[in-house]
Amino acid sequence: MNGRKGTGARGKAGAHGAQTGKDGQRRPMFRRRKVCKFCADKIDDINYKDTKLLMPFVPERAKILPRRISGTCAMHQRKLRTAIMRARQLALIPYTAE
Amino acid sequence: MNRKYELVYVVSPDATDAQVADLHTQVEQITQRLGGSIEKTDNWGRRKLAYEIGPHKEGTYVLETIDGGGELMKEIDRRLKVSDLIIRHLVVRIDEEQAVIDRTRTTRTDNARRRRVARGLPPDRQPGEGQRNEMEEDDRFDMGEVER
Repeated sequence: MNGRKGTGARGKAGAHGAQTGKDGQRRPMFRRRKVCKFCADKIDDINYKDTKLLMPFVPERAKILPRRISGTCAMHQRKLRTAIMRARQLALIPYTAE
Repeated sequence: MNRKYELVYVVSPDATDAQVADLHTQVEQITQRLGGSIEKTDNWGRRKLAYEIGPHKEGTYVLETIDGGGELMKEIDRRLKVSDLIIRHLVVRIDEEQAVIDRTRTTRTDNARRRRVARGLPPDRQPGEGQRNEMEEDDRFDMGEVER
């Protein structure tokens, strides 16, 4: 686990530069590589009935969390989207909040 | 013709249990008349709605898994639309997705087993090997390990 995350972050965010840290414009922080939750946990079935699974992907405003933030892979984001839209139809998940 | 559908409907909170049961029998009758069968019924009971639908803040959710054809579901859909007691309903075809899910699951377990055998391990995980062996089930890294 640790090993995998470490290599990923080095490749992406330039962790060495960040660690020396004093040359101003560099990325300020060590960025952890995002991993698709559904791939990592091997969740095959993204079901609209499973609100517990979907809720973390519809924060506060109840908008669908974009891929660039959640790190979900394209395939699972697509499945997630249909699941969320179905759950919304049945009032299991809100369309908006306030 | 033999397709599997999932039907969820939300019944108004004002409805009595008898009325909910009555709706279920109505659905059952339609399915039987049009040559289908109900595989499973699941009453989730009363739940809070995520948003208000008209005057309602709560609803009784009922899930039915139905085996049958498209015409049958069309008829059920039409009937539920007309019904006053039902505030929301959703029909989803599930057989195809289920097949895909089953396939990915079996291929994954098969692959895991094959890799384990290639590394000289018994195909299934032994009781002692919990948690700490994450790496060995990780698809992205296993290929390299097998070749080594």
